Order: sequence, then C-alpha cells, then structure tokens
Amino acid sequence: MRRETSLFSRLVLRVALVLCGGAALLATAAWYYARAAADDAYDRLLLGAAIQITANMTVDAGNLAVTLPSSAFELLGLAERDRIFYRVVGPDGKTLTGYDDLDPGINLSSARPAPIFLSANYRDVPVRMVIVSRALSDPSFSGWAYVVMAQTTEARRALAGELTTRAMILVGIMSILALAGTVLAIRYSLLPVGRLASTLNARDPQDLTPVEVDMPRELKPFVGSINHFMGRLEERVSLLQRFIADAAHQIRTPLTALTAQVDMLDDDDLDADRKRRLGRVRERVKQLARLTNQLLNHAMVIHRSDSVRFKPVDLGDIARKAFRATVPVTVDPDVVVSFEGCAAPAIVLGDAVSLREAIANIIDNALQHGAVQRLAVRVERSGRRVLVEVADDGPGIPQSEWPAVTARFVSSKVGEGSMGLGFAIAAEVAAAHRGTIRFREKAEHDFAVILDIPLYQESER
Amino acid sequence: MIWPKIVPLACAGVLALTTTAGAVEGTRTFFPALDAERGRLVINGATDVEAMEPLIRDFQATVRDVAIDYTDYVTNDLYRDADIACRLKQPFGDILLSSSVDQLVKLANDGCALAHVSAETRGVPAWANWRDEVFGFTFEPSVMVYHKDFVPPEDVPHTHGELTDLLRFKPDYYRGRIGTYDLRQSGIGYLLAFLDAQQASTTYGRLLESLSRANAVLRCCNNAVLSELDSGNVFIGYNILGSYAYAASRRNDKLRIVLPRDYTLILSRGALIPVGAKRQDLAGRFLDYLLSVRGQKVARQKAFFFSHDGAVPADVDGPAKLVESGIGRPIRIGPALLAAQDRLQRSRFIDDWTNLIVNTPVRLRPN
Repeated sequence: MRRETSLFSRLVLRVALVLCGGAALLATAAWYYARAAADDAYDRLLLGAAIQITANMTVDAGNLAVTLPSSAFELLGLAERDRIFYRVVGPDGKTLTGYDDLDPGINLSSARPAPIFLSANYRDVPVRMVIVSRALSDPSFSGWAYVVMAQTTEARRALAGELTTRAMILVGIMSILALAGTVLAIRYSLLPVGRLASTLNARDPQDLTPVEVDMPRELKPFVGSINHFMGRLEERVSLLQRFIADAAHQIRTPLTALTAQVDMLDDDDLDADRKRRLGRVRERVKQLARLTNQLLNHAMVIHRSDSVRFKPVDLGDIARKAFRATVPVTVDPDVVVSFEGCAAPAIVLGDAVSLREAIANIIDNALQHGAVQRLAVRVERSGRRVLVEVADDGPGIPQSEWPAVTARFVSSKVGEGSMGLGFAIAAEVAAAHRGTIRFREKAEHDFAVILDIPLYQESER
Repeated sequence: MIWPKIVPLACAGVLALTTTAGAVEGTRTFFPALDAERGRLVINGATDVEAMEPLIRDFQATVRDVAIDYTDYVTNDLYRDADIACRLKQPFGDILLSSSVDQLVKLANDGCALAHVSAETRGVPAWANWRDEVFGFTFEPSVMVYHKDFVPPEDVPHTHGELTDLLRFKPDYYRGRIGTYDLRQSGIGYLLAFLDAQQASTTYGRLLESLSRANAVLRCCNNAVLSELDSGNVFIGYNILGSYAYAASRRNDKLRIVLPRDYTLILSRGALIPVGAKRQDLAGRFLDYLLSVRGQKVARQKAFFFSHDGAVPADVDGPAKLVESGIGRPIRIGPALLAAQDRLQRSRFIDDWTNLIVNTPVRLRPN
C-alpha cells in the first residue's frame, strides 16, 4: 500500500529533522562551553591553593621548609567531593613532601614562566593538575621549587553536567516552540490550497469561466493552469454544441422531406407485416424529427442565454402561450387538460422565448410520457418566487432518476419512452434565470414538475 | 626517674597488646552471634572496646545471626596497617572506626574507602560526612579532667589560658601531675594538638611551654591518662576525649570534667569501609546502625554520652549549649584535615613538640 504523501507532514518532518540536528549541535556546544567554564572556575581554586603553598615556602638554615596551610586544602575542599593530591619538589628535584608518584609527565621547569594546567590520570582517576613554580633567592639557598597540585574532577563534571542540562532544557523548549510555530505557519500557509479546492468543488460543473479566488503568489501558476485548461475545455464544448446545432439544422431539411415521403406512402395494398413495419418507420421518423427539433431548441436556448438581454416578462402569459402551443387540438379526448393562471402578475426577469420553450418541453414531456387522464398546468406565486407546476396522473419519474434528468446536457437514452432532451432544455433555461427544476413525488397529489423562477424585483434595476 | 619510667611502661603496654593478638596488632574481642552464625563482621577500631560493646551488643540484637570480631588498635597502628593493606590490595577488616579522623580522611583521599549511601547516611550533617566514605558517628568534645581531691576549686582551669597560668604559678605542685597524649604514639593526640595550634597559636605555644616545664606525663591513650588520674598520680588531664572522661567520672566521682570556655574542639569519631572489605553489606548495616536513631541513642546513653543535639551531661562543667554558643568547634571531616596528615608537616610538628616536651632537660622530681 502506497503511503499518501502530504505537504504538511513533509514540511513538518523536515523542519523537525533540522530542529533536532540544531538541538544536538547546540547541546554539544553547550557541553563544551560548560566544561570549559567549570574547568576555568575550579582551575582558579586549584591555582590559588598551589600559590598558597608556594607562598609558605621558607628557607631556614639552608633548608627548604614548607608549611602546608590548612586554608589551601579548605579552598580545594570547596569542591566537596574531590580528592586532593599534591607534591612539593625542591630545587634538587627531590620530593619534599606529598605524593611522590604524582608525576605530571612534563618537565617541571616549563612551569617557570607561568603556571601550567594539565588534565591527566592519577591512580586511575582523572585529575586536573597545576604546576606552580617559585624562585628561591636566598643567598644560602637558591633555585626553583615547584608545587604540583592535583584534584579529581567530580565537582567540575557535576557543574558542567548541570550547566549542560540547563542549556539543554532551554534548547528543548525553544525547539518545541519552533516546531509548534512551524506547524501553525504551515497550516496557515496551506489554507489557500484548501480554499481553492473547496471553491473548485463548489463550482457548478457547467461553469467553465476562469476561477477567480484570491491566491498567494505561489499558487497563481496553479490557478492559471486550471483557468487555461478550463478555457480550452470551454472552447471545445461550445465547438461541440455548435457542431451539434449545425448537424441538427442540416439534418432537418432532409428529415422534413423524409417525413413527407413516408407520409405519402400508401399502405393500403401492403400485407399486414409490411404495414406494421411501415408504421414503425413512421414512428421512428417522428421521434427523429422531435429529437432534431429539441437539439435545435437547445442550441437556440444556449445561444439566447449567452446573447439575449433579459427583460421583465409575465411568466403567467408565457406559460399560457406555451400551454396553447403544446397541447394539440387533437389531444386524446380521454385526457382532461387544464390551465390555471395566476391572479397577480407573475413578472420575472428573463427571456420569453427561452422560458416558453422550457415550459413547452415540460408539458410536452408530460403529454408524451405521463398523462393518462389528467394534465394540469398551474402558475402561482410563492413568496418571492414564481412556480409553474405541470402535474399529471402518470406514473411519474422515480426519485432515483431526478438528478439524472435535470442534469443539463445529460440526455437519457433516446428511444421508446425516453424523455429526450426536454428536461435538459428546461433545466438549462431555469439555470440561466437563476431558478431550478424540481419534482413533486406522486402521492395524494399527482406527480408534478415545477419550474421555479425568482420573482422580478423592481429594485434589481 | 619519672621519664625513663614512662617509656618502658608504654612500651610494655603496646608489647602486651601485640603478643596477645598474635599476627594482628591490638586486642581482639569476639562477640559470638546470638543465633547460629551466618556472617562475621570484622571491625578494626581505634576505640576502646568498653565504649563499643553496648553498641555492638545492641547491633547484634537487631541482626542476631552475625558474629562480630572486634580488634582495638592505637590510632597510628590502625592507620599504618590500613594504609599498607590498601597499597597491597589486601583485606583489612570490614569497617574501620577511628577517633583520628584525619587519618581516615587521608585513607579516603588515597582511594582506600568504599562509598556507602543509605537513608541513614543522608541524615548525617555535612561536616561529618566526606564523599559518603568517611562518616562521623559520635560527638565528643575534647575536655580537661581534674581530680577533685588534689585540685582545689580556685585552681580549676576553665580555659586553655587558665591552665597555662596555673602551671606557671604553681609549677612545683603540678610538676609531673599533668597528663596528656603522647603525640608520637597517638594519632588523635596529634590531631588535637595540631588543631589547638591552628585555633590559637599563641595560647598553644604558651601552653606547650608550660606543659614542658611542668614535666607532663605522656600516655599513648586516653584511658592510660585516665587511670593515672584515677589513681591520683595525675591531677589534671588535658585534651581528653569527653566520652572516656565521662565514663571514668562515672566510675570515680572524684574525677571532674571541664569543657574549656575559650574554645572546645569537638571530634566526631569516624567510620570508613575500606576497599577490600569482604562483608561490605554487613559493614554498611553496622554503619547504618551507628548513624541510626537507635544507635545514636545507645551511644549517648551508654558509650559516648555527648550528642550533637542533646545537652551537655548535668555534672560537666561547661556551657550548656556547646555548639550554639560558638565555643564548640566541630572538626570538619574533609580535605582540610589533609594538611594535618602531610608527612613533612607532621614530622616537623611532632619533632618540635618532642624537642619541647620530651627532650627539654627537666629537674627530676623527688618521688
């Protein structure tokens, strides 16, 4: 299974890695500094103690005498747990007192210009050592005496450890803050991406106009590509529409001729089988003519929605005209048709031709596929909307197919019992007028298709 | 002929100790386990067995299956043997007890000690604990003891200076009647004298001179001085550990104790578990016992009589609150004591002392 990559987790992971590396680096540096600081602090004590001892050297009757002051040891005792080793070396190189085997491993005379500090091991424990020299210039006794002072490093390590720990706590807190800040910043920076996605998702599938969202500069090329792509798609779609309209138009003329020819065919001297076949040919030709008309109507509607400027029109009038035009005189006498207008003017802003075409298509559809005994067209105002309701007592359209039939450009299969492009046209017109096509399920009322268009408000002008 | 008499006596004492214990120097006492023996703790101490016995017995009451092998050394011998054992990486007892804490500090500094940490050791005050290796488990002021019958009340010294003056004003009466440690033999004697010299060098110098003139009686150990006091040979004992002095005064009510009012050194007897202890666990338990509330109580009541928090015993002449008054100066167990253990320093100090006290020709007192 391939793991889904996320910009957020990628960024956080990398920032966390960098922070970890930085923290490790800082901790190492802190440890070095802490060690240096601890050494520096305790070296002073060590040097102080050694100097105290050198200061207590006296030459007495040609002999070098050393008094070890308790204060020197008390000074070193400030490092409470550390052991102390010392060695006093006379001018003859012999150890006067202290630990004879405390050997700094270098020539003592190198400590003549200045005290020397060393880190070494003594008796298997790490110690810090200082060598301090003293020039004796008694007439009877002269030369260099040395004091080697060593101390174990427990207090130094403890101090360095404590300093390092504190620094590391600070580094840790800073890293956590930085990471939290990064997480917030990344979340914030990625917000426009989510916004773009939801804008694209919320868009009408037919809306191929350029996306106009306020985007950060980094996302502009992405939006540009989308827009460019949509522009090309738009071009293709309109080309296709034009082609279909042209094709329908081209087909209409031969089709009219064909219909006439078929109508002229005399079927009297045909046997039953051929008569039946001829009937089917006529039926199919009729369907073809209807479909071609719808295609042309559709193209016309689309063309008008793009080019015709909307005017206030009375939807009641339009519906009535559509009703008259659609319901033929030769309607099946078993079917009761009725039209119920609206008392108040039902003015909407729109294109009368498109609206009539839409209503005619709905009525036509009801006649073709729905009405058994009843067809009722009713115009009414409901709040700020005008509803044109076409009800019939037919079986209706099952709820599961509602989205499919209203989807514009989605024509159901053409054939016997198909609804052709009627609803597609109606839905297209409704959308152009900021309205919708709805359905009312067959229950105590008849099944109804409702065209819902907002009422024209004077203030809109 | 007092002087020649003393040395053979002291030597005989030491010889007697050496011969009784065979290869081991010092007197050995064995405390069998109360129940079937499952372990044996070897204690090498420079503490009289009489003082340690109540503690050892009480410890055995808590750990009934442990036998205790206690050997009493003179401080210097204990240090020397422990030092040699440490250098040769040989075992030398499971726990060392010594009043000469500077020697224990030196052993710890030389890496001859094992650290021991427990709930009890955490309660030890900082001045009585070094590196969790050397612990002070007692509280013993260094006192002056006098014999009531021979020292009239107006003579009783209350400070170091008064003792000096007394010896100056009545030299004949007190000649040969002042007892103190022999620094050459006693580590604790050396430590107390060294610290005396540090506390008040002028007073100490004058006192030393007076002691020299008074032809002081020198003994290896506290109890030797105290027995001379007991028998009336010595009238005043100087720098005697309070614990021994108090025990002696309980046996003989003629002996009186004075805590010097200028300053009183306070020693905390040290305990140390040496590297190479075979029963480190038992040693740790014994150390914990010594530091525990129970052990401290037994020590105060039966062994050492003074305690850090408790008041000074009623019949002791001295300030009621030793530490709070600033007169008591606890000897801090720590690296500062290494100065006392420097071999050059030590030999020069003892040489100076010997020149002054021992080698100064004195008029011999007709006995």
